[in-house]
Amino acid sequence: MRKSWNTLSAFLTSYSICSGFNLMLDVASNLDDISKTTFCIPYRPQVEGDDPIEESKRIIPPTFSSQNYDLENGRELRFEAYRVAWRRCLDRMQEIIRDLQRPTVKAVVQEALSSYTNILPGLPHPELPVISLLNPGLGTSFMDNITTELEANNSEVDLPTSVRSLVIHLYPSDLPNLSTGMRVIISGFIEKDEREDVKRKPGTSVASYNILYLAAWYKSWAKFVDDPQPNLVVALHDFEQFDPLVMQDVFHICSTQVPQLPLVFLLSMTSPSSNYLNATYSRSTQSLLRLRTFSAPSGIHILQEIVIKTFFDIDFEPDIMIGPAILEYLQDYFTRYNSSIDAVLALLQLVHLNHFTADPFSVLVHQSLDAGVLSQMQSKPFLEMLKARVALLSDKDDAMDIDDWSSLTTASVLTTIDEARSKLYLRARNIRKAFGVMFRIQTVLESNGHKGIEWSLSTDNSGRVCNVLLDILRGQLYRDVKRLGLIIKKLNYDELRAIVDSLHRYVFTMPVQARSEEQEARGYMAHYVSQLPDGRPVSTPEIAAHFSDWITKYLSDKLLPLDDVDLWDIWYTGMTPFPSELINPSTRASIISGLLRPHEFTEDLEKTAVRERPVPRPLWELPDTSILFKRYLDSGKMINVYDWYESFKSVLDTQRTQLLEAAASNGTPSSPRKRGRKAKIKQTLHEMTEEEEEKWRIEAQARFIRALHELDHLGFIKHTGRKADHILRTVFDVDDEE
Amino acid sequence: MFPVPGYEQFCNDLSTLLSTYPPSFIYVQDIESIRTTFGVIDAVLQDVSGATPLESTFKVHYVRVDTISCFTTRLFFETVINTLVGWEPKWEDGCTNWSPENELKWNENLDTFLHGLRAAHQHLCQQHGIGTTDKGKGKQRESSYEDVRFVIVVERAERLKENLPELIVPLTRLAEMARIDLTVIFVSQVGWEHIRPPLGASPDPYFMDIQGISKDNIAKSLISNFSSLSISEDILNNPYHPALASLYTHFIITLCDICFPFTHDPQELQYIAAARWPGFVKPVIDAYSQQLDERMDEDGLEFTPPSEEVRVRLIRYFNPTFTSALEALLPRLTNATDWAKANEPPPNLLSLPRTSSAITSSTSKADSSSIRALPRMSKFILVASFLASTNPPKSDLRMFGRGLDEKKRRRRATAKTSGKTKSGAASKIPQRLLGPAAFALDRMIAILGGLLEENDVDTRMGGLAKEFKIPGEYTDTEIGRVGVYSTVMELASMGLLHRTSPPDRLDGPPMFKCAVSYETTLLLAKELDVALNDLLWDPM
Repeated sequence: MRKSWNTLSAFLTSYSICSGFNLMLDVASNLDDISKTTFCIPYRPQVEGDDPIEESKRIIPPTFSSQNYDLENGRELRFEAYRVAWRRCLDRMQEIIRDLQRPTVKAVVQEALSSYTNILPGLPHPELPVISLLNPGLGTSFMDNITTELEANNSEVDLPTSVRSLVIHLYPSDLPNLSTGMRVIISGFIEKDEREDVKRKPGTSVASYNILYLAAWYKSWAKFVDDPQPNLVVALHDFEQFDPLVMQDVFHICSTQVPQLPLVFLLSMTSPSSNYLNATYSRSTQSLLRLRTFSAPSGIHILQEIVIKTFFDIDFEPDIMIGPAILEYLQDYFTRYNSSIDAVLALLQLVHLNHFTADPFSVLVHQSLDAGVLSQMQSKPFLEMLKARVALLSDKDDAMDIDDWSSLTTASVLTTIDEARSKLYLRARNIRKAFGVMFRIQTVLESNGHKGIEWSLSTDNSGRVCNVLLDILRGQLYRDVKRLGLIIKKLNYDELRAIVDSLHRYVFTMPVQARSEEQEARGYMAHYVSQLPDGRPVSTPEIAAHFSDWITKYLSDKLLPLDDVDLWDIWYTGMTPFPSELINPSTRASIISGLLRPHEFTEDLEKTAVRERPVPRPLWELPDTSILFKRYLDSGKMINVYDWYESFKSVLDTQRTQLLEAAASNGTPSSPRKRGRKAKIKQTLHEMTEEEEEKWRIEAQARFIRALHELDHLGFIKHTGRKADHILRTVFDVDDEE
Repeated sequence: MFPVPGYEQFCNDLSTLLSTYPPSFIYVQDIESIRTTFGVIDAVLQDVSGATPLESTFKVHYVRVDTISCFTTRLFFETVINTLVGWEPKWEDGCTNWSPENELKWNENLDTFLHGLRAAHQHLCQQHGIGTTDKGKGKQRESSYEDVRFVIVVERAERLKENLPELIVPLTRLAEMARIDLTVIFVSQVGWEHIRPPLGASPDPYFMDIQGISKDNIAKSLISNFSSLSISEDILNNPYHPALASLYTHFIITLCDICFPFTHDPQELQYIAAARWPGFVKPVIDAYSQQLDERMDEDGLEFTPPSEEVRVRLIRYFNPTFTSALEALLPRLTNATDWAKANEPPPNLLSLPRTSSAITSSTSKADSSSIRALPRMSKFILVASFLASTNPPKSDLRMFGRGLDEKKRRRRATAKTSGKTKSGAASKIPQRLLGPAAFALDRMIAILGGLLEENDVDTRMGGLAKEFKIPGEYTDTEIGRVGVYSTVMELASMGLLHRTSPPDRLDGPPMFKCAVSYETTLLLAKELDVALNDLLWDPM
């Protein structure tokens, strides 16, 4: 994720919008300097501001929504609650990621430590072991896990002898050229030596970038640590960014010293294709290496694993449950744009943040507030609002009756919230249990070669399970439950037995609280297990029918939607959509809508919050660039610049007249100086002196050129050499209806 | 005496030269098997330097300098002098260089290096007792050398031109500059005319060209390596047991027959042999260990070399795997160790029916699964960039342009008549044979829009689509997203797209080239349900 933003910003600079920032400082000094092609004249508004146009622009609308029923320190409290909730969720997810990584990490560590054992006899020359690590999805933590495991030197890897290893980390910027690169590699290892430094006279001893220097050190160090052959591991992060010309020489130099100097290169690559080395390096370099490739798990499978184990696993209860809209966006973003764990973590963190900023009530996620806090004077609006909502729940008929809800005591409100919380968590738990049951049945069915309810768990990267989870959250899983019932009825003894066994194990190994809620289910399961004794196949249809009825009923009881619990929106994000335009905006669409409707970007957010359609403004009220852009949209494929200017000027004339009129009709002018001008304005409305006319014309021209250049910078204009005074449009078909 | 057959002439020439009156500058060129030549030269020099005073009047000290490892003058000087005097830097005393009595610092520049060379020469002369006036003159004379001769072998001399261009001229004239008995040998794959400094600054060398080695000689040299490998007597752990020597001979001959047309480098053939041999003899060893198991009581079962019939059977069984080994190992799609492990024959092959033939596991399929894990947008971008790199820009409107009413109509490229056009001139070479062409980012984004509009509309999330009224407007929004641009950059950093314009150029759109193959693109297109062949200007 971070990388992609960096590359993005690097990319955007290539489309540089304004290149004059560095000129800002010396602009005052010399405008006649012919050596400069561009001058930036910074915008400095005048302080007095007697110009009515400037004045109208300076009104800054309030930009944040002031929800009037928030607690006094509501923001701090909610932030604290957010931190607790997100920390729990993040810890869980990181644990899952570690589990996902473990097999690959173990294999890589084993390979790195045993690189110099079991070498094939008869090779023409010793090879330099290189381990390339394809890691498109699991982010930087994957490489870190491997290196910490290597550095720890007490790994669970089973090797005949205990092998030590030293690890150094290199990043693309460390190897700008060969001598720096070799020096970094060599000094990296030598610095890790705990012994006292040996005195060196730089002039008369071997150069510090000489590989023989490392070899001499290694010989003495290996004797010191008393280990047959500790490996030296060089971890190269972002290997694709290293200069191949430098790297091929590094490989060559290092390969001249193997196996006396047991170097191992560990390359971390983000590219999914395993032949990067084949494509980039020459065959003579490749023939020096012994390349082994490992790839980390990737694809939709890792998203499924994370979502299921975080939000649909009976062993874990997240504080905030995500809703179908979020889950759908998560799936879409993951499969479409960025299949990496980092993206998933970032999105879910944003979801948490968003949840806790949007609604003041979310402060109640963990525990109800102190009655003391609520009884304070400043908390009154919050309490009133809360009471109103609670009253709405308890008595739906005449909830709007003020007496009714104001008579509620604080304590009773708090109990209601506590009840709602445990009710919602119970329901979420039930959903998890039901999903767990269905998941296990389906796993057994698939392992027996049935299609079952077609969740296709065994085929990787099908992404089907995410859709199932969406159905669960939307409460649309009834069909699957029914089908599962039908399928169970037709199973034979062995299959039924396998399912019952699996579920029996499941209900008896749940966490304590969940288990205590499932007395009945445990009773049933024990009953079914006793009905299907070992080794003695009994006629099953009756039991199967009974089991099927029970399981259908059990599942339909558990799979109830979360959003009809009281006050659900405190703990459940429901249908709240993800603010996708913030994380992945469409640049051109944003620019165009900014030009078309500039005021919407500065308007009071509260208005937009209540979905009030903003009133379209007349053309003359818009900024210059917008006016010019509107006129641009009205034209044909080519625009005559003079016509464009004329049309622009006519709008400016209107603007001027309107503003002057507005200023004139304004009853309370701000300064006596203005009052003096008022009469003058009246006069100028009708007649302008020659001089003023000229001045106004120049101003309009200047404003036109400025707006034109802004559009040019934004890429809306293509210059044409074919026709004089004409430019080409680059954007067509814009929806500019107001 | 000399390790590689086929080099006899060269070895004789070189050793005669070096032990008598060598030219001060020799240039050895070998195009095909440079590593083998290094080995041969080393063997010759070792032989010459080990000569007793009776055989030669000169004591030869030599050094091999690898120009890739010695990428600065200081490294070069240090390597030369330390090796000539046989000095090994020790960590305990700070890795100091060899130093003559007068504490001369000789690694700073060429001038000091020449002084260093002379000092080293003097030091070695003293060591061998040359020029000292001892009492037992007569005795000494018989068993001493007349002079010390230095030989400096510069390997991969072509790299001098980039790494140390300032050293080429001094090196070629080193003998006259140092004024000692010294010979410089350049060994390179490139001809002298490509390295030669301008204006005749260097004297012309004494040329020695290495002819390509014949198949028989390569086979002989590979076979001769066998004895050095058969160290352990334990047949169960060592596939290079002396008893298997004759089988190995046949194995190598077959291998050379099959692989020689594709590579003449003995090192590569040795590499393939090393990968195939353990699997090749495994059936024989299996059969032997089975025999051992059956006769537990008798411990002295001699291992007998396999019979003629077994040998023929093994060669017939493994014959197809030689080619597949060549295909996988020559371009290093995998390494020898892993290939050997993956292509082990089934246990107890000799007891199986005779009709079977070895099946090799394919190595190139692993790639496809990981490229499938790319996000959907990346796949679309790769397909679009492949199209942008293969189709001529003028064809875009015809391939992707859609009128409002006639939605699906398109004029497709007519099938070209093969061979020549009417006028008799050769027809244009299709772009896919010329390699990918560079394209501007904008063009690729536009093609991406075309692809998305036709193939991606159904998979979009429903919520947003309602806000768009003009046809194609949603797609227009999609291709302008930040995610698309960052994906392009990420693909470029992965090496799946190749950026041809420098990143710091500001004017004009960035240019890219597609770096994935037709096969990969076809695979991606299938995943996305894009009919790739319909969109190619030159369908395959």
